[in-house]
Amino acid sequence: MSAADSVRKFVGPLLTLLLLVGVGLGIWYSSDGKQEADKAAAVVTIKGLIGSEKLPFLQDPRVLAYLEKQGIKLEAMKAGSREIALRPDLKQFDYAYPAGVPAATKLQKEQNIRQTYPTFFTPMALASWKPVVAVLQANGIVEQRGKSWYIVDMMKLMRWMEEGKRWRDIPGNSQYPVGKSILVSTTDVRTSNSAAMYLSLLSYLANERNVVQDEAQLRQVLPLVTPLFLKQGYQESSSAGPFEDYVSMGMGKAPLVLVYESQFIEYLARTPKDARNPDMVLLYPEPTVYTKHILTPLNEKGRRLGELFANDATLQRLAVEYGYRVNNPNLFREVNQARGIEAPDNLLDVIDPPAYEILEKMITAIEQQMSR
Amino acid sequence: MRHWLKTLFILPALAVLLTACGDEAPKELPPERTLTILAGSELKDVEPLLPKLEAETGIRLKFEYSGTLDGVERLQAGEAFDAAWFSHAKYLMLDPTTRAKVKASEKIMLSPVVLGVKESRFKALGWDKKAELTWKDIAQAAASGQFNFAMTNPTSSNTGFSALMGVAAAFAGKADALTEQDVAQLDLTGLFKGQKLTAGSSGWLAERYLAEADRLDGMINYESVLLGLNVGTSGAGNSNVAPLKDKLHLVYPRDGIVTADYPLLLLNDAKRAAYDKVVAWLKSAETQQALMRDTRRRPVNPSVASAQGLFPDALLSELPFPNRIEVVNKLLFSYLNDQRRPAHAFFVLDISGSMEGERLQGLRAALTSLAGGDTSLTGRFARFQNRERISLIPFSSGVEQDLLLAADMGKSGPENDKTLNQIRTYAGQLGVRGGTALYDAVAEAYRQAALAMKNDPQRYYTIVAMTDGESNTGMTLAEFKRFYASLPPDVRQVRVFTVLFGDSDPAEMKTLAELTGGHMFDSRKTSLSRMFKSIRGYQ
Repeated sequence: MSAADSVRKFVGPLLTLLLLVGVGLGIWYSSDGKQEADKAAAVVTIKGLIGSEKLPFLQDPRVLAYLEKQGIKLEAMKAGSREIALRPDLKQFDYAYPAGVPAATKLQKEQNIRQTYPTFFTPMALASWKPVVAVLQANGIVEQRGKSWYIVDMMKLMRWMEEGKRWRDIPGNSQYPVGKSILVSTTDVRTSNSAAMYLSLLSYLANERNVVQDEAQLRQVLPLVTPLFLKQGYQESSSAGPFEDYVSMGMGKAPLVLVYESQFIEYLARTPKDARNPDMVLLYPEPTVYTKHILTPLNEKGRRLGELFANDATLQRLAVEYGYRVNNPNLFREVNQARGIEAPDNLLDVIDPPAYEILEKMITAIEQQMSR
Repeated sequence: MRHWLKTLFILPALAVLLTACGDEAPKELPPERTLTILAGSELKDVEPLLPKLEAETGIRLKFEYSGTLDGVERLQAGEAFDAAWFSHAKYLMLDPTTRAKVKASEKIMLSPVVLGVKESRFKALGWDKKAELTWKDIAQAAASGQFNFAMTNPTSSNTGFSALMGVAAAFAGKADALTEQDVAQLDLTGLFKGQKLTAGSSGWLAERYLAEADRLDGMINYESVLLGLNVGTSGAGNSNVAPLKDKLHLVYPRDGIVTADYPLLLLNDAKRAAYDKVVAWLKSAETQQALMRDTRRRPVNPSVASAQGLFPDALLSELPFPNRIEVVNKLLFSYLNDQRRPAHAFFVLDISGSMEGERLQGLRAALTSLAGGDTSLTGRFARFQNRERISLIPFSSGVEQDLLLAADMGKSGPENDKTLNQIRTYAGQLGVRGGTALYDAVAEAYRQAALAMKNDPQRYYTIVAMTDGESNTGMTLAEFKRFYASLPPDVRQVRVFTVLFGDSDPAEMKTLAELTGGHMFDSRKTSLSRMFKSIRGYQ
């Protein structure tokens, strides 16, 4: 295995080199005719590790075809965003494309990478249901802002969760009188970025609206936030799980589900209106936190890809079609308006996640509690 | 007895045959086009779809069936499969060894585990006038003897498992996932007083319900199975049985339920391409429609709108599931040791001359396993449990009066150790003698059971009858039938689970099982230890 790998390591670049030389010669010798064939020969494979949430986008035939036109054959392998930075086989890849700033920063430091490419981002949001929202609205926790979107006061919601309040204990709640605790359902914080972003948000609130920066703050914050993960019981390990449950199992499974805004928008875009549950609504936490998708190149090929995803107008538009936000807010508004999806143009109260090391320490501490 | 289930099994086999008998023998596909799958037996009803799957994706699925907990052990032991498919993967994902093997997971369909109550009983109990029922209401009726139900053994079958997790969460009255302390304080004995029938498989439970609907008030099973019984189909085979006359009213308790979500798990990363194709096919609108129509499971593909009127329009409040395997195991042991009706298990054991040698060794090993010798997880679940009474009735030319043993398990580890030791020693000393008077011995078990039931009607009574040859002395089968018919009705309800072993007569053993509402287990190719372990799910 390792012998074969090392052969491949040498042969791969060698072949690429030969191909490039061949292509050069081809262009040199024939300024007419055979360009099509030459183009095909010049296609270069770029291989990387990505967070699983981006797989549908990176496998979209339009994305692949467009890249192919640029002479790129894209290969993407799923990997947990938390583990990418620590992969021993990282050198075999041309780029890493984890979810979230902490993972990208860690990677940049470990691999000594000068430039990374922020490509697109999405805020964390809560997928919920009209009857649930009505209850929260009546209690001043949720406020309607757009025709179909709401904001949720995270500080107030967190207080309720910490008190261990149950849904049926909420005054005037006849719409959703179940005996379960009020909790936001997340993925497993040990394996998934979205839950780590939720942890970032909770720890910020528990730290009196400051990003946790040192051990002392961390020790204070942990007893407040840990139960909000432990009390959930069994959790799915990837972010596709809870959202899938949300759309297929409905309100009974979980009244509040932590999702990426992009997941929700992408779902609306691809599902005909009459096939959707009309009670689905999206809540934007205030404050919220962004999951930024930062392409981290591991070599020259990766840099080329980074340039494209960060700056190319076609790829940026395709990303927006998948529900992501890009630096140009007009593009996001335009694309979504055209397909009848309403979302806020920009969110004002957005916090930064803590540094990778701090976040890791918090996750490890929760992990220990889980297996105790 | 199992005619409709059999049709269900034969149909897919036929379908495979038909596609295979085209112009040539079935071709072996290249490895990248096959997926070996360790699957729960309830997924047999998906088999009729497989030829279409293969035609449209080019991929062939090869199923090997197993119980969930059994499956976990097989994967732990390193058995290699490309994928696993059970009605849920929670247990598997809570176990660190098996969790590490899972490369991807996609839910394929849904079916909540709920309670079906006979419509007439539902009204008689006044439940039709209540806005919403809770597990407590159900337990109250069960504890006072007004309501009885069938439910599988939670350590052998997923419906029992899901129901136990749900009921425990509901009873703990907790808003969050259960902890070990919660389990220690649980008291579910009231509810389980009403458990009139247990089983090692949901299919067998449904089959017995059909046969014994007049003495059972309800059953806990998958929504899909209960809906199927009401209309007289039994799943994807669409094999028809008479629809239930007294329909089952489906109760979705207000305090919550647990839903089976059938995730298909990728175990072999090299087969990811094939796995992705299969998942895409299974989740396509067309397949989801077919699954919903034929197996009555709910679709996960949200664009497949639930068929009008197929599923009751109830809010399915999903109960939180424990996030630690220790809690789950503790709950399972608590069911066996403290919550369920204590069992009284009779073992009618052949020690005739033909048992000499390997066969006797097999029998000794099987008894020793149940007496604590099998320390695997499933072995510990199958072991004799707290409060249980065990009666051993060895026979050869007659009942071996001097070898009769009645042993009581205690209420704690040390108390139990004494009994388990006693049984292990007993097993080690078993020797062989004379002929085979099977029916005399089974009749003796019934006489003992009749006596025991007078003093202790709350126990769950069953008889296991194992023989390695034809009954050649004492009562004949015809005489035994007359004897059985003369027993009081409550004693007749004690089932005989027959074990086919060595040269025993399949026809007679089957008749004996069917006569008494039991089931025949074939141990001719499988060790007695393994068969006894399976039978424990029915005791």
